[in-house]
Amino acid sequence: MKNIFKRSVIAFFLSAALISCTSELDNEPIGLLTEDLVDTELAAVTLEALVNSAYQPLGNTLNGVVPGWRWDLGTVFRNDIVLQDIASNDMNKKWNPDGDQPWMDRVGDFTFTPENQAFNGIWVYDYIGINRLNLGIGFLTDGVTVPNSGMSEARKNQLLSEAYFLRAYYYFDLVNNFGDVPLLSKSPDTFAEALDASVRAPKAEVLAQIATDLATAKGLASNAKYPDPAQRWRVSKGAIIALQAKVALFAKDWPTVLSLITELDGLGHYNLNAEYFNSFDANLEFTDNEVIFAYDHRALETPNVNNGLRFVIGWGFFAPTNDFISAFESNDPRLLYTTNTTAKTSYKIRGSVADNPDFGNKIYIRYADVLLWKAEALLETSNLSGAITIINQIRTRARTSSTADGSIIPIGTLPDRASSTNPTEVKNWLMHERRVELGFESQRFNDLKRWGIAETVLASKGFQSKHNLYPIPQRDIDKSGGSITQNPNY
Amino acid sequence: MKKKLIYKIFLLGTLLFGGALCAQTVTGTVSDTNGVLPGVNVVVKGSTSGTATDFDGKYTIENVKSNAVLVFSYLGYITKEIPVNGLRVVDAVLAEDSQSLDEIVLVGYSTMKKSTLTGALSVVDVEDLNKAKTSNVAQALQGKVAGVRVASSSGAPGGNIEVTIRGVGTIGNNNPLYVVDGVPSLDISFLNQSDIKSMSVLKDAAAASIYGARASAGVVLITTKSGVKGKTVLEANYWYGVQNATNLPKMLNANQYMDVTEKAWNNTYTGTNPYTADKGRSDFGNTNWLGELFEPGKSQNLQLTASGGSENVQYLMSLGYYGEDGIVVYDNDKFQRINFRTNINAQLTDKFKIGSNLQLSYSIQDKVPSTGESLIRFALLRAPVIPVYKDVTDPTYSVEDPFTDMPFFTPTGYDQALNRTMYEMVGNPIAQAYFSDDQTTRFQTFGNIFGEYKLMEDLTFRSNVGIDLSFYHDKTFNENYGDDDGGGSAIDQGLGRRNRPNNLGELRGEAFTFTFSNTLNYLKTFNERHDFSAMIGTELISNYESFIGASRSRFAYTVDEFRYLDYGGSTLDVRNSGTATEYGLFSVFGSTSYVLDGKYMLTANLRADASSRFSENNRWGYFPSISAGWKLSDEEFLSETDWLSNLKLRASWGQVGNQNIDDYSYLELLRAGDIPGKERFGNPDLKWETSTQQNIGVDVGLFNNKVAINAEYYVKNTTDILLPVGLPGLHGDLQPTIVNAGEVSNKGFEFSANYRNSDNEFKYSLNANFTTLKNNVEKLHPNVPSIVTDKYRTVVGEALNSYYGYKMIGIYQNQSEIDSYLTGGTGSTQPGDIKFKDINGDGKITPDFDREFIGSSIPDLIYGFAFNAEYKKFDFSVFFQGVSGVEKYNDGKKIVDYDTRPFNYTTAILGSWDGEGSTNSMPRVAFNDNGSSNVSSIFVEDASYLRLQNIELGYTLNGIKGFQDMRLYVSGRNIFTSTNYTGLDPEVSGLIDNGTYPSSSTVLFGVNVKF
Repeated sequence: MKNIFKRSVIAFFLSAALISCTSELDNEPIGLLTEDLVDTELAAVTLEALVNSAYQPLGNTLNGVVPGWRWDLGTVFRNDIVLQDIASNDMNKKWNPDGDQPWMDRVGDFTFTPENQAFNGIWVYDYIGINRLNLGIGFLTDGVTVPNSGMSEARKNQLLSEAYFLRAYYYFDLVNNFGDVPLLSKSPDTFAEALDASVRAPKAEVLAQIATDLATAKGLASNAKYPDPAQRWRVSKGAIIALQAKVALFAKDWPTVLSLITELDGLGHYNLNAEYFNSFDANLEFTDNEVIFAYDHRALETPNVNNGLRFVIGWGFFAPTNDFISAFESNDPRLLYTTNTTAKTSYKIRGSVADNPDFGNKIYIRYADVLLWKAEALLETSNLSGAITIINQIRTRARTSSTADGSIIPIGTLPDRASSTNPTEVKNWLMHERRVELGFESQRFNDLKRWGIAETVLASKGFQSKHNLYPIPQRDIDKSGGSITQNPNY
Repeated sequence: MKKKLIYKIFLLGTLLFGGALCAQTVTGTVSDTNGVLPGVNVVVKGSTSGTATDFDGKYTIENVKSNAVLVFSYLGYITKEIPVNGLRVVDAVLAEDSQSLDEIVLVGYSTMKKSTLTGALSVVDVEDLNKAKTSNVAQALQGKVAGVRVASSSGAPGGNIEVTIRGVGTIGNNNPLYVVDGVPSLDISFLNQSDIKSMSVLKDAAAASIYGARASAGVVLITTKSGVKGKTVLEANYWYGVQNATNLPKMLNANQYMDVTEKAWNNTYTGTNPYTADKGRSDFGNTNWLGELFEPGKSQNLQLTASGGSENVQYLMSLGYYGEDGIVVYDNDKFQRINFRTNINAQLTDKFKIGSNLQLSYSIQDKVPSTGESLIRFALLRAPVIPVYKDVTDPTYSVEDPFTDMPFFTPTGYDQALNRTMYEMVGNPIAQAYFSDDQTTRFQTFGNIFGEYKLMEDLTFRSNVGIDLSFYHDKTFNENYGDDDGGGSAIDQGLGRRNRPNNLGELRGEAFTFTFSNTLNYLKTFNERHDFSAMIGTELISNYESFIGASRSRFAYTVDEFRYLDYGGSTLDVRNSGTATEYGLFSVFGSTSYVLDGKYMLTANLRADASSRFSENNRWGYFPSISAGWKLSDEEFLSETDWLSNLKLRASWGQVGNQNIDDYSYLELLRAGDIPGKERFGNPDLKWETSTQQNIGVDVGLFNNKVAINAEYYVKNTTDILLPVGLPGLHGDLQPTIVNAGEVSNKGFEFSANYRNSDNEFKYSLNANFTTLKNNVEKLHPNVPSIVTDKYRTVVGEALNSYYGYKMIGIYQNQSEIDSYLTGGTGSTQPGDIKFKDINGDGKITPDFDREFIGSSIPDLIYGFAFNAEYKKFDFSVFFQGVSGVEKYNDGKKIVDYDTRPFNYTTAILGSWDGEGSTNSMPRVAFNDNGSSNVSSIFVEDASYLRLQNIELGYTLNGIKGFQDMRLYVSGRNIFTSTNYTGLDPEVSGLIDNGTYPSSSTVLFGVNVKF
């Protein structure tokens, strides 16, 4: 009797423990999707968010991509402005030189090392975009997820078209900055696969991927100027064609540039705005004629997507060089829109002359830029008069625009270029026009490099031929254990 | 059954408290061979009446029955029972207990005699522990136990304490497992030090393997106090202390600052120096920001304890209060804790015993920002020319916010924008301290209930249920203040730049851990020679933790009464959050030991653990250990050596594990939400980290154990270390994947010695311990040849996380030195810049070829030593501890003395390079890079230190009416530190010292009263 009691007590306790054990050890993750769930139940809203979030690295929201004021990683905002405008002879770090963010000065005077965070910043931004896209493209094309999620075929095609375009955009930025870069065209399945993929692919291979992606994107896109009228910031067919043209331009494939711009014009969506500043005016965004692709900064949203560069301007950053100011012809109204040396600000960057809104967009491709590509292609294919006509079209628009301070533009300002048979003269006109028309729009350094004149123009700043490619960020070389190699002479 | 039990208890009570027949008063004197013994407990056996001997060794007990037995007990002496036999005077002579080593020690789920231990286990002297007057028990361990390193994460009230036992075996969590009354916990900050009865540190695998998968970082077993049968004891302890910041750097004053910034400008630019023009401005102040920020702090502690019990039921109740008001001005840095504890043990029948410990603790911590963008950093950096308060004539002055913010917001005749560039715009630390409102409250219920049943004479079944339930609440109100710098969202324009707009964040969470363990213990001695014991058991641990949080912004009213979510703006920046985590661990374990003749000992343990943190394939881990001991001093051939009272050799081998990683780490998971993506690459092969440890030890007692020496040598190899490995940035924003990435070894020698002399009126003891440590990475995963961060990396052949960067070899004294050294291109280098070692000699300083290992944060040597003495009614103790052979990356120094912005500097800058031949150790001061933007040896400093941790003088009064005794003492903590480290505190934990809440020295007065 006593023994039975004892045994039953022990049996009770031990079995209680054993029974509870099995259920306690099988814990499904809370708040995270397992592969099973992903395979069967990935929600349409997650698919949308995957593509939408891939736009984010194009924005200048402070800490919007990598949280926490990581000046040391160069990720507080997108570094285009440092790598293009400060690196070229257009922009100084600040109005008053000081010791704040000295890494930007190092880019400006070409004394940077691979550890400079400017390179890490742009690298991380571009690759974060690419990885989000690879995941999104993977789900959108696996043939299972979309039907399961209930997403329409049309919506899927729209999202895919955007995704392919954005991936091409990020890779194009990477090859221009770094040359050969690791090429990930799909999300690695395993950690080991990801490590193995951490090697640089030849630039030609990356460019081939860009071409394929843009062609696919174009095939899936609708012809509308705004494929989603409610979200006008989405990538359109016009943007895709324009980027194809830009890629051809950088490859000096002039006939293709011309045919693509003809194709773009065929959509009938784009023209020069009457007013130079309309492309940048935050209150006119997505209602103008000229902007083809822009990142939509918006105010008061959670998560935050506002224009952070206006804060940076407020801290005294982004001053013009004297060389840049003197490049403008007298009374050119574009100067004051680009930089106001009295108020120490840039209306173009902040999106307004009158006030300081936080939703001014970042313009990536606008029609004036496209027209100047066309001019360049015409010039290079010996159609000098065609090129001059376009340059004059740009100049006309500039001199007929109203000024930022309301002053009257004197007669004779920005006169038309005369006809010329001297290609060098026309090329100089074109290069000048690009610099003043597109000032502070992060185009300059790439232009100087592709024109092959960076070494001359920037010689006084210390530019050497190795600087045609920026160094691969040391951080990733270290993290790859050396499988990612450095560019020559760094 | 139940009725019978209650009847028995009733009956017992009646017997115990029943009237006394033939009562008489008994007196007597208690002595030992040296003379009278004060403070000896004298109890009438089987009753609650008793007393202690007075200063002359005399006692008096009334109402003693003539057939009673008196029990005389005193620590370190053999307890003696003497029948009264009708006598009125009963004197007793006590003999010192030569076997006093033979305490019973908790070794996990069972106990052992200390003399038969075979593993490396250190028992902490609780008396000694109580001399450290701290809020955190873990802190009190510092320097007390060989092999244990204790470092605080910051000097802030209620700051975290980091404990490492026998080195760093892994990259992740190296905190030991704490087991309080059989209930595991990862944190013991809720415990009140005075509630602790014993604390043992299980260091080697033989001792710790019974805790299997959680024991690789060592185990600390804590038993809380319980009532003892006999006399009721009432105790009250109180102390009050005053703290002052120590080791603060000396900063430049206003004039020095202007001179240095003037020089920095001249070293950088050409033209008209704006600092020269600004010298002697009428609106300049001369502020010592550190002096303004700190004031004496105060702390106090009160503890009331009542305990007692009868033969069958014992109880203890305690109430504690600890309060600390930190050293930062205004009362926004505080820590308060109330502890309430009860313990009851009851012998229900001959065979059935139950007991419970229940601990309630409530703490409130008020924090000021003390790391990162901290007020300490602001106080170091803010220019001394800026006054603390605005002038009342300043149009931006307000009574609510009288503090200066941006440099010279409304100067007269000066360029505002230039001012802001010239005098860096870090915040005003005094304003930050004033406006801080960041509070964490935590309510914790921790305890256990156990039942123990004697199935047979030698076989006991024990079941223990433990709970650890805590609720926490973080509440931070960020009040808007400061000057308007023109920024902020459109709708917030015009507000000050700090906390714009004002906002409130609240987070409430609960964590519940349930522990259920069952053990069967067998203990038998055969033929008086063979001591045999065996134990088997099971344990289930399950944890569930959840929280919800919310934040609101733009509060129209900011008085305290409106700092609740409902009163914030309801349209914008409304955020709510909430999630949960859970894990489970199930284990089966057993242990057996055999002792022959008390001389030859063998112990074996095995634990099998299954954890929810690993995939089903790798769910179970097995952790065996075996250890043996030989007590040579009991052998015939040593029996003649009188001076040798104890000599024991021990050896052990065993394995323990680590499972301390995030839940679900083995799974590949997708994040949903606004920014979906891969959380991390999973690792289906992920398994336990295993530490294999070998230990040999020797225990020596000399001259009747007056001298006790303990020495251990261990080799601890941690394989399959759980390592979060981040992929290159090109793989996007992933969490690192946890891989079993390699092997790390820790080897060390531990030594402790104790000398005690109580022969004379002057009684004293000396304790010393030290630990050497050699940490080395033996192997890394083939896919992960090195683990790299910006400032430190892990590679085979070096210690874990060793600092890596350029090595400074001097300062360039002139241009020709630069030209001849940097033949591959001088870049922006100029005279006065740091000269780095060009390892490959190619005339260029390049990251791929010229960086090397420049230090390790793992100390080579940890030590502590103490002296305790008693003379008549005085007692005195002093305790030092320190570490040596350790480096730390002083990032705080980088931002103070080596930044390119016009921050304030320490006076060290006055020795910076100033022309050829001036110095070869500190570069020119400048607003452009002098080489200091690189990770280099200039910031890796020797962080060895020796600290006078504690000194105490006490005086005991006895014979005061109403008190048994009373002790008054004065004590000092962290009184003196000797170090070459230039940061705020060499002790602070962590690899990178970003500057933190400084440590403080404390002087305190206390009284302990026993009634």
